Amino acid sequence: MEPRKDFHQQLEEMYLELLRMSNRCLELIDDTRVAFLDLDGEKAERIIAADEEIDDMRYSLEESGIELIARQAPVAVDLRTIIVIMRLAQHLERVADLCVNISKAIINLSGHASLSSWIKENMDEMFKRSARMLSCATQAFRDRDLTLAGELNEMDEKVDRINRAFLTGFDRDSEEELELVVRVVLISRFIERIADHAVDIGEHVRFLVTGSVQEGD
Amino acid sequence: MPELEHKMHIGDLSLFYDGFKALEDINMKVYCRRITALIGPSGCGKSSLLRCLNRMNDLVEGARVEGRIELDGEDIYAVGCDLTHLRRRVGMVFQKPNPFPMSIFDNVAYGPRLEGRKGRGDLEEIVERSLRRAALWDEVKDKLKQSALALSGGQQQRLCIARVLAVQPEVILLDEPCSALDPISTQRIEDLLAELKDSYTIVIVTHNMQQAARVSDFTAFLTIENQGEPGRLVEYGETEEIFTRPRDPRTENYITGRFG
Repeated sequence: MEPRKDFHQQLEEMYLELLRMSNRCLELIDDTRVAFLDLDGEKAERIIAADEEIDDMRYSLEESGIELIARQAPVAVDLRTIIVIMRLAQHLERVADLCVNISKAIINLSGHASLSSWIKENMDEMFKRSARMLSCATQAFRDRDLTLAGELNEMDEKVDRINRAFLTGFDRDSEEELELVVRVVLISRFIERIADHAVDIGEHVRFLVTGSVQEGD
Repeated sequence: MPELEHKMHIGDLSLFYDGFKALEDINMKVYCRRITALIGPSGCGKSSLLRCLNRMNDLVEGARVEGRIELDGEDIYAVGCDLTHLRRRVGMVFQKPNPFPMSIFDNVAYGPRLEGRKGRGDLEEIVERSLRRAALWDEVKDKLKQSALALSGGQQQRLCIARVLAVQPEVILLDEPCSALDPISTQRIEDLLAELKDSYTIVIVTHNMQQAARVSDFTAFLTIENQGEPGRLVEYGETEEIFTRPRDPRTENYITGRFG
Protein backbone atom coordinates (compact mmCIF):
# COMPACT_ATOMS: atom_id res chain seq x y z
CA MET A 1 0.00 0.00 0.00
CA GLU A 2 1.25 3.45 -0.81
CA PRO A 3 -0.29 6.07 1.50
CA ARG A 4 0.08 9.06 -0.85
CA LYS A 5 -1.14 7.31 -3.98
CA ASP A 6 -3.18 10.21 -5.36
CA PHE A 7 -0.36 12.65 -4.85
CA HIS A 8 2.18 10.44 -6.57
CA GLN A 9 -0.24 9.80 -9.39
CA GLN A 10 -0.62 13.56 -9.94
CA LEU A 11 3.15 13.93 -9.84
CA GLU A 12 3.48 11.17 -12.44
CA GLU A 13 0.96 12.97 -14.65
CA MET A 14 3.01 16.18 -14.44
CA TYR A 15 6.09 14.22 -15.35
CA LEU A 16 4.42 12.63 -18.39
CA GLU A 17 3.00 15.97 -19.49
CA LEU A 18 6.47 17.49 -19.38
CA LEU A 19 7.81 14.68 -21.57
CA ARG A 20 4.95 15.34 -24.02
CA MET A 21 5.79 19.04 -23.99
CA SER A 22 9.42 18.27 -24.74
CA ASN A 23 8.43 16.00 -27.64
CA ARG A 24 6.22 18.73 -29.02
CA CYS A 25 9.14 21.18 -28.84
CA LEU A 26 11.39 18.73 -30.68
CA GLU A 27 8.78 18.49 -33.44
CA LEU A 28 8.64 22.28 -33.60
CA ILE A 29 12.41 22.56 -33.92
CA ASP A 30 12.40 20.06 -36.76
CA ASP A 31 9.50 21.82 -38.48
CA THR A 32 11.41 25.09 -38.12
CA ARG A 33 14.48 23.49 -39.66
CA VAL A 34 12.52 22.29 -42.70
CA ALA A 35 10.72 25.66 -43.01
CA PHE A 36 14.08 27.40 -43.03
CA LEU A 37 15.70 25.11 -45.61
CA ASP A 38 12.67 25.46 -47.92
CA LEU A 39 12.09 29.11 -46.98
CA ASP A 40 8.51 27.96 -46.48
CA GLY A 41 6.53 30.94 -45.15
CA GLU A 42 3.30 28.98 -44.72
CA LYS A 43 4.97 26.33 -42.59
CA ALA A 44 6.52 29.13 -40.54
CA GLU A 45 3.05 30.58 -39.94
CA ARG A 46 1.87 27.21 -38.61
CA ILE A 47 4.83 27.10 -36.19
CA ILE A 48 3.89 30.54 -34.89
CA ALA A 49 0.31 29.38 -34.38
CA ALA A 50 1.47 26.33 -32.41
CA ASP A 51 3.10 28.51 -29.74
CA GLU A 52 -0.16 28.97 -27.90
CA GLU A 53 -0.43 25.23 -27.34
CA ILE A 54 3.04 25.19 -25.75
CA ASP A 55 2.20 28.21 -23.58
CA ASP A 56 -0.90 26.39 -22.33
CA MET A 57 1.15 23.33 -21.46
CA ARG A 58 3.49 25.46 -19.41
CA TYR A 59 0.68 27.25 -17.54
CA SER A 60 -1.05 23.98 -16.84
CA LEU A 61 2.16 22.43 -15.46
CA GLU A 62 2.80 25.48 -13.32
CA GLU A 63 -0.72 25.41 -11.91
CA SER A 64 -0.42 21.71 -11.13
CA GLY A 65 2.92 22.28 -9.42
CA ILE A 66 1.63 25.15 -7.30
CA GLU A 67 -1.41 23.14 -6.33
CA LEU A 68 0.66 20.13 -5.28
CA ILE A 69 2.99 22.31 -3.23
CA ALA A 70 0.07 24.03 -1.52
CA ARG A 71 -1.98 20.92 -0.84
CA GLN A 72 0.52 18.11 -0.44
CA ALA A 73 3.52 19.74 1.27
CA PRO A 74 5.99 17.70 -0.80
CA VAL A 75 9.52 17.13 0.52
CA ALA A 76 12.84 15.74 -0.66
CA VAL A 77 12.80 14.16 -4.13
CA ASP A 78 9.09 14.94 -4.61
CA LEU A 79 9.66 18.64 -3.95
CA ARG A 80 12.67 18.70 -6.25
CA THR A 81 10.74 16.92 -9.01
CA ILE A 82 7.94 19.50 -8.89
CA ILE A 83 10.36 22.42 -8.86
CA VAL A 84 12.38 20.95 -11.72
CA ILE A 85 9.31 20.19 -13.84
CA MET A 86 8.13 23.78 -13.39
CA ARG A 87 11.56 25.11 -14.36
CA LEU A 88 11.83 22.79 -17.36
CA ALA A 89 8.39 23.83 -18.58
CA GLN A 90 9.62 27.42 -18.56
CA HIS A 91 12.71 26.51 -20.59
CA LEU A 92 10.64 24.53 -23.09
CA GLU A 93 8.23 27.42 -23.47
CA ARG A 94 11.21 29.65 -24.26
CA VAL A 95 12.42 27.10 -26.84
CA ALA A 96 9.03 27.35 -28.57
CA ASP A 97 9.28 31.15 -28.43
CA LEU A 98 12.65 30.92 -30.18
CA CYS A 99 11.07 28.77 -32.89
CA VAL A 100 8.51 31.55 -33.29
CA ASN A 101 11.28 34.14 -33.59
CA ILE A 102 13.04 32.03 -36.20
CA SER A 103 9.76 31.52 -38.08
CA LYS A 104 9.18 35.28 -38.25
CA ALA A 105 12.65 35.68 -39.74
CA ILE A 106 11.87 32.86 -42.22
CA ILE A 107 8.72 34.70 -43.34
CA ASN A 108 10.80 37.80 -43.98
CA LEU A 109 13.35 35.74 -45.89
CA SER A 110 10.81 33.83 -47.96
CA GLY A 111 10.93 36.46 -50.70
CA HIS A 112 14.55 35.53 -51.39
CA ALA A 113 15.16 33.14 -54.20
CA SER A 114 17.45 30.74 -52.39
CA LEU A 115 20.09 30.25 -49.73
CA SER A 116 23.67 29.28 -50.45
CA SER A 117 24.57 25.67 -49.77
CA TRP A 118 27.07 26.86 -47.14
CA ILE A 119 24.28 28.52 -45.15
CA LYS A 120 21.92 25.57 -45.60
CA GLU A 121 24.44 22.96 -44.51
CA ASN A 122 25.59 24.80 -41.43
CA MET A 123 22.12 25.81 -40.38
CA ASP A 124 20.85 22.26 -40.88
CA GLU A 125 23.71 21.01 -38.70
CA MET A 126 22.94 23.57 -36.02
CA PHE A 127 19.22 22.78 -35.91
CA LYS A 128 19.95 19.07 -35.66
CA ARG A 129 22.56 19.49 -32.95
CA SER A 130 20.30 21.71 -30.86
CA ALA A 131 17.39 19.30 -31.23
CA ARG A 132 19.69 16.44 -30.27
CA MET A 133 20.78 18.38 -27.17
CA LEU A 134 17.21 19.03 -26.11
CA SER A 135 16.42 15.37 -26.66
CA CYS A 136 19.41 14.32 -24.51
CA ALA A 137 18.48 16.83 -21.82
CA THR A 138 14.96 15.40 -21.68
CA GLN A 139 16.33 11.88 -21.59
CA ALA A 140 18.69 12.87 -18.75
CA PHE A 141 15.66 14.21 -16.86
CA ARG A 142 13.61 11.09 -17.58
CA ASP A 143 16.39 8.69 -16.53
CA ARG A 144 17.93 10.97 -13.87
CA ASP A 145 21.15 10.47 -15.80
CA LEU A 146 23.88 12.78 -14.49
CA THR A 147 26.45 11.56 -17.01
CA LEU A 148 24.24 12.43 -19.95
CA ALA A 149 23.34 15.78 -18.37
CA GLY A 150 27.07 16.46 -17.98
CA GLU A 151 27.72 15.86 -21.68
CA LEU A 152 25.50 18.76 -22.70
CA ASN A 153 28.17 21.39 -22.07
CA GLU A 154 30.52 19.73 -24.52
CA MET A 155 27.74 19.35 -27.08
CA ASP A 156 26.97 23.04 -26.68
CA GLU A 157 30.48 24.06 -27.66
CA LYS A 158 29.99 22.68 -31.17
CA VAL A 159 26.77 24.67 -31.60
CA ASP A 160 28.55 27.78 -30.35
CA ARG A 161 31.29 27.19 -32.90
CA ILE A 162 28.88 27.09 -35.82
CA ASN A 163 27.13 30.18 -34.48
CA ARG A 164 30.46 32.03 -34.41
CA ALA A 165 31.16 30.82 -37.93
CA PHE A 166 28.03 32.59 -39.11
CA LEU A 167 29.26 35.84 -37.57
CA THR A 168 32.62 35.68 -39.32
CA GLY A 169 32.07 33.34 -42.26
CA PHE A 170 30.25 35.51 -44.74
CA ASP A 171 32.32 36.52 -47.69
CA ARG A 172 32.37 40.29 -47.49
CA ASP A 173 32.92 40.64 -51.21
CA SER A 174 30.03 38.41 -52.19
CA GLU A 175 26.76 39.47 -53.60
CA GLU A 176 24.77 38.35 -50.61
CA GLU A 177 22.68 41.24 -49.50
CA LEU A 178 22.90 42.71 -46.03
CA GLU A 179 19.33 41.88 -44.98
CA LEU A 180 19.85 38.21 -45.67
CA VAL A 181 23.11 38.16 -43.72
CA VAL A 182 21.53 39.89 -40.72
CA ARG A 183 18.56 37.53 -40.64
CA VAL A 184 20.71 34.42 -40.97
CA VAL A 185 22.98 35.61 -38.15
CA LEU A 186 19.88 36.30 -36.06
CA ILE A 187 18.46 32.83 -36.72
CA SER A 188 21.79 31.27 -35.86
CA ARG A 189 21.77 33.15 -32.57
CA PHE A 190 18.21 31.92 -31.84
CA ILE A 191 19.24 28.30 -32.42
CA GLU A 192 22.25 28.78 -30.22
CA ARG A 193 19.85 29.95 -27.46
CA ILE A 194 17.82 26.74 -27.88
CA ALA A 195 21.01 24.78 -27.19
CA ASP A 196 21.63 26.95 -24.11
CA HIS A 197 18.20 26.00 -22.76
CA ALA A 198 19.15 22.34 -23.15
CA VAL A 199 22.30 23.00 -21.10
CA ASP A 200 20.19 24.70 -18.41
CA ILE A 201 17.87 21.71 -18.30
CA GLY A 202 20.93 19.55 -17.67
CA GLU A 203 21.76 21.76 -14.67
CA HIS A 204 18.29 21.24 -13.27
CA VAL A 205 18.70 17.49 -13.68
CA ARG A 206 21.79 17.73 -11.48
CA PHE A 207 19.72 19.50 -8.82
CA LEU A 208 16.98 16.88 -9.16
CA VAL A 209 19.40 14.02 -8.60
CA THR A 210 21.78 15.48 -6.01
CA GLY A 211 19.68 18.10 -4.24
CA SER A 212 22.55 20.57 -4.54
CA VAL A 213 21.70 24.02 -5.78
CA GLN A 214 25.31 24.92 -6.45
CA GLU A 215 27.66 23.08 -8.72
CA GLY A 216 30.07 20.84 -6.83
CA ASP A 217 28.24 21.44 -3.54
CA MET B 1 27.07 16.88 11.97
CA PRO B 2 28.13 20.26 13.30
CA GLU B 3 30.44 20.72 16.25
CA LEU B 4 27.83 21.67 18.79
CA GLU B 5 27.75 21.25 22.52
CA HIS B 6 25.55 18.31 23.41
CA LYS B 7 23.28 17.95 26.41
CA MET B 8 22.58 14.25 26.22
CA HIS B 9 24.46 11.36 24.69
CA ILE B 10 22.72 8.12 23.84
CA GLY B 11 25.25 5.31 23.39
CA ASP B 12 24.52 1.77 22.11
CA LEU B 13 21.08 1.95 23.66
CA SER B 14 18.79 -1.05 23.47
CA LEU B 15 15.44 -1.29 25.22
CA PHE B 16 13.58 -4.45 26.15
CA TYR B 17 10.05 -5.01 27.34
CA ASP B 18 10.48 -8.42 28.93
CA GLY B 19 11.66 -10.63 26.03
CA PHE B 20 10.75 -8.12 23.32
CA LYS B 21 13.49 -5.87 22.02
CA ALA B 22 11.88 -2.50 21.27
CA LEU B 23 15.01 -0.51 20.39
CA GLU B 24 18.44 -1.61 19.21
CA ASP B 25 21.81 0.13 19.13
CA ILE B 26 20.64 3.72 19.22
CA ASN B 27 23.51 6.18 19.07
CA MET B 28 22.87 9.89 18.96
CA LYS B 29 23.58 13.19 20.66
CA VAL B 30 20.94 15.64 21.77
CA TYR B 31 22.28 19.13 21.22
CA CYS B 32 22.04 22.00 23.71
CA ARG B 33 19.30 24.56 23.14
CA ARG B 34 18.15 22.94 19.94
CA ILE B 35 14.94 21.15 19.05
CA THR B 36 15.38 17.52 18.08
CA ALA B 37 12.45 15.74 16.46
CA LEU B 38 11.99 11.97 16.54
CA ILE B 39 9.97 10.70 13.59
CA GLY B 40 9.07 7.29 12.26
CA PRO B 41 6.15 4.94 11.68
CA SER B 42 3.96 3.66 14.49
CA GLY B 43 5.74 1.07 16.57
CA CYS B 44 9.26 2.19 15.61
CA GLY B 45 10.03 3.02 19.23
CA LYS B 46 10.28 6.80 19.06
CA SER B 47 8.10 7.36 22.13
CA SER B 48 9.95 4.57 23.92
CA LEU B 49 13.23 6.30 23.12
CA LEU B 50 11.86 9.58 24.43
CA ARG B 51 10.76 7.90 27.65
CA CYS B 52 14.24 6.48 28.12
CA LEU B 53 15.61 10.02 28.35
CA ASN B 54 14.11 10.62 31.79
CA ARG B 55 13.67 6.98 32.74
CA MET B 56 9.92 7.06 32.38
CA ASN B 57 10.20 3.48 31.13
CA ASP B 58 11.18 2.44 34.65
CA LEU B 59 7.46 2.66 35.40
CA VAL B 60 6.75 -0.08 32.84
CA GLU B 61 7.05 -3.55 34.33
CA GLY B 62 9.64 -5.67 32.59
CA ALA B 63 11.30 -2.70 30.88
CA ARG B 64 15.09 -2.90 30.82
CA VAL B 65 17.76 -0.94 28.99
CA GLU B 66 21.27 -1.75 27.82
CA GLY B 67 23.80 0.90 26.90
CA ARG B 68 24.16 4.41 28.24
CA ILE B 69 22.34 7.69 28.31
CA GLU B 70 24.38 10.58 29.61
CA LEU B 71 23.07 13.90 30.80
CA ASP B 72 25.90 16.40 30.94
CA GLY B 73 28.30 13.47 30.86
CA GLU B 74 26.72 11.50 33.70
CA ASP B 75 24.97 8.19 33.12
CA ILE B 76 21.33 8.54 34.12
CA TYR B 77 21.03 4.76 34.39
CA ALA B 78 23.90 4.54 36.89
CA VAL B 79 23.15 3.02 40.28
CA GLY B 80 22.20 5.72 42.74
CA CYS B 81 20.84 8.17 40.20
CA ASP B 82 18.20 10.31 41.92
CA LEU B 83 15.08 9.81 39.77
CA THR B 84 13.16 12.75 41.20
CA HIS B 85 16.11 15.01 40.52
CA LEU B 86 16.51 13.55 37.01
CA ARG B 87 12.85 14.14 36.14
CA ARG B 88 13.06 17.69 37.43
CA ARG B 89 16.01 18.31 35.12
CA VAL B 90 14.38 16.43 32.24
CA GLY B 91 10.70 17.37 32.20
CA MET B 92 8.00 15.79 30.11
CA VAL B 93 4.83 16.91 28.33
CA PHE B 94 2.42 14.22 27.16
CA GLN B 95 0.21 13.66 24.16
CA LYS B 96 -3.02 14.38 25.97
CA PRO B 97 -3.01 17.50 28.18
CA ASN B 98 -3.12 16.21 31.74
CA PRO B 99 -3.67 19.11 34.15
CA PHE B 100 -4.28 18.12 37.77
CA PRO B 101 -7.88 18.60 38.94
CA MET B 102 -7.02 21.76 40.83
CA SER B 103 -6.70 25.48 40.12
CA ILE B 104 -4.49 26.93 37.40
CA PHE B 105 -2.27 28.44 40.08
CA ASP B 106 -1.94 25.19 42.02
CA ASN B 107 -1.10 23.26 38.86
CA VAL B 108 1.92 25.43 38.20
CA ALA B 109 2.87 25.72 41.88
CA TYR B 110 2.67 21.96 42.36
CA GLY B 111 6.26 21.15 41.53
CA PRO B 112 7.86 24.06 43.39
CA ARG B 113 5.76 23.21 46.47
CA LEU B 114 7.02 19.62 46.37
CA GLU B 115 10.51 21.09 46.37
CA GLY B 116 9.62 22.88 49.60
CA ARG B 117 8.97 26.36 48.29
CA LYS B 118 6.09 27.60 50.39
CA GLY B 119 6.23 31.42 50.42
CA ARG B 120 3.19 32.98 48.75
CA GLY B 121 5.21 35.75 47.07
CA ASP B 122 7.84 33.30 45.92
CA LEU B 123 5.23 30.97 44.41
CA GLU B 124 3.32 33.83 42.80
CA GLU B 125 6.48 34.92 41.09
CA ILE B 126 7.26 31.42 39.84
CA VAL B 127 3.69 30.90 38.61
CA GLU B 128 3.61 34.20 36.74
CA ARG B 129 7.03 33.68 35.20
CA SER B 130 6.18 30.14 34.10
CA LEU B 131 2.81 31.09 32.65
CA ARG B 132 4.37 34.02 30.80
CA ARG B 133 7.08 31.77 29.43
CA ALA B 134 4.40 29.32 28.29
CA ALA B 135 2.54 32.16 26.52
CA LEU B 136 -0.54 31.60 28.68
CA TRP B 137 -0.35 34.41 31.25
CA ASP B 138 -2.45 36.98 29.40
CA GLU B 139 -5.25 34.48 28.94
CA VAL B 140 -5.43 33.24 32.54
CA LYS B 141 -4.04 36.01 34.79
CA ASP B 142 -7.54 37.00 35.99
CA LYS B 143 -8.69 33.47 36.72
CA LEU B 144 -5.75 31.78 38.37
CA LYS B 145 -8.03 30.30 41.05
CA GLN B 146 -10.31 28.67 38.50
CA SER B 147 -10.06 24.98 37.73
CA ALA B 148 -7.49 24.11 35.11
CA LEU B 149 -9.98 21.65 33.66
CA ALA B 150 -12.11 24.55 32.41
CA LEU B 151 -9.37 25.63 29.99
CA SER B 152 -9.43 24.68 26.32
CA GLY B 153 -7.26 21.78 25.13
CA GLY B 154 -4.62 24.12 23.72
CA GLN B 155 -4.54 26.16 26.94
CA GLN B 156 -4.32 23.00 29.02
CA GLN B 157 -1.31 21.86 27.00
CA ARG B 158 0.42 25.22 27.50
CA LEU B 159 -0.44 24.94 31.21
CA CYS B 160 1.31 21.56 31.27
CA ILE B 161 4.33 23.19 29.66
CA ALA B 162 4.18 25.96 32.30
CA ARG B 163 4.04 23.27 34.97
CA VAL B 164 7.21 21.73 33.60
CA LEU B 165 8.92 25.14 33.34
CA ALA B 166 8.07 25.95 36.98
CA VAL B 167 10.68 23.48 38.24
CA GLN B 168 13.32 24.97 35.93
CA PRO B 169 14.23 21.95 33.85
CA GLU B 170 17.17 21.79 31.45
CA VAL B 171 15.61 19.40 28.94
CA ILE B 172 11.96 19.24 27.90
CA LEU B 173 10.58 16.07 26.33
CA LEU B 174 7.33 16.33 24.40
CA ASP B 175 5.44 13.24 23.27
CA GLU B 176 3.18 14.27 20.39
CA PRO B 177 2.11 17.39 22.27
CA CYS B 178 -0.17 18.67 19.50
CA SER B 179 -1.89 15.51 18.34
CA ALA B 180 -5.06 16.36 20.30
CA LEU B 181 -5.04 20.06 19.38
CA ASP B 182 -6.61 22.13 16.60
CA PRO B 183 -4.34 23.88 14.04
CA ILE B 184 -4.37 27.28 15.80
CA SER B 185 -3.47 25.77 19.18
CA THR B 186 -0.84 23.68 17.41
CA GLN B 187 0.66 26.82 15.89
CA ARG B 188 0.77 28.43 19.36
CA ILE B 189 2.67 25.47 20.78
CA GLU B 190 5.07 25.50 17.81
CA ASP B 191 5.72 29.24 18.28
CA LEU B 192 6.25 28.61 21.97
CA LEU B 193 8.80 25.86 21.29
CA ALA B 194 10.73 28.19 19.01
CA GLU B 195 10.95 30.70 21.90
CA LEU B 196 11.80 28.11 24.52
CA LYS B 197 14.74 26.67 22.63
CA ASP B 198 16.79 29.73 23.53
CA SER B 199 16.85 28.42 27.09
CA TYR B 200 16.07 24.73 26.93
CA THR B 201 17.06 21.59 25.10
CA ILE B 202 13.93 20.14 23.54
CA VAL B 203 13.14 16.70 22.19
CA ILE B 204 9.79 16.17 20.47
CA VAL B 205 8.12 13.05 19.17
CA THR B 206 5.69 13.85 16.40
CA HIS B 207 3.60 11.94 13.91
CA ASN B 208 3.24 15.11 11.90
CA MET B 209 6.22 15.24 9.59
CA GLN B 210 5.49 18.81 8.58
CA GLN B 211 5.62 19.75 12.26
CA ALA B 212 9.06 18.16 12.54
CA ALA B 213 10.11 20.06 9.41
CA ARG B 214 8.75 23.35 10.77
CA VAL B 215 9.98 23.33 14.35
CA SER B 216 13.05 21.18 14.71
CA ASP B 217 16.74 21.82 14.13
CA PHE B 218 17.63 18.14 14.05
CA THR B 219 15.58 15.17 12.98
CA ALA B 220 16.08 11.52 13.81
CA PHE B 221 14.28 8.94 11.72
CA LEU B 222 13.63 5.57 13.33
CA THR B 223 12.03 2.57 11.73
CA ILE B 224 11.39 -1.14 12.05
CA GLU B 225 12.28 -3.38 9.14
CA ASN B 226 9.64 -6.00 9.94
CA GLN B 227 6.94 -6.48 12.52
CA GLY B 228 8.40 -7.81 15.75
CA GLU B 229 11.88 -6.45 15.07
CA PRO B 230 13.40 -3.67 17.17
CA GLY B 231 13.32 -0.01 16.17
CA ARG B 232 16.60 1.30 14.81
CA LEU B 233 17.90 4.78 14.07
CA VAL B 234 18.16 5.04 10.29
CA GLU B 235 19.26 8.62 9.84
CA TYR B 236 19.96 11.56 12.09
CA GLY B 237 20.90 14.99 10.86
CA GLU B 238 20.00 18.60 10.40
CA THR B 239 16.31 18.91 9.65
CA GLU B 240 16.95 20.88 6.47
CA GLU B 241 19.11 18.07 5.12
CA ILE B 242 16.69 15.33 6.15
CA PHE B 243 13.77 17.00 4.42
CA THR B 244 15.54 18.18 1.28
CA ARG B 245 18.13 15.50 0.57
CA PRO B 246 18.03 12.56 2.93
CA ARG B 247 20.93 10.17 2.50
CA ASP B 248 19.12 6.93 3.22
CA PRO B 249 16.46 5.74 0.75
CA ARG B 250 14.37 4.47 3.70
CA THR B 251 14.19 8.02 5.06
CA GLU B 252 13.27 9.35 1.63
CA ASN B 253 10.55 6.74 1.21
CA TYR B 254 9.10 7.54 4.61
CA ILE B 255 9.05 11.33 4.39
CA THR B 256 7.70 11.31 0.84
CA GLY B 257 4.95 8.89 1.83
CA ARG B 258 6.23 5.94 -0.18
CA PHE B 259 6.42 3.87 2.97
CA GLY B 260 4.75 0.48 2.53
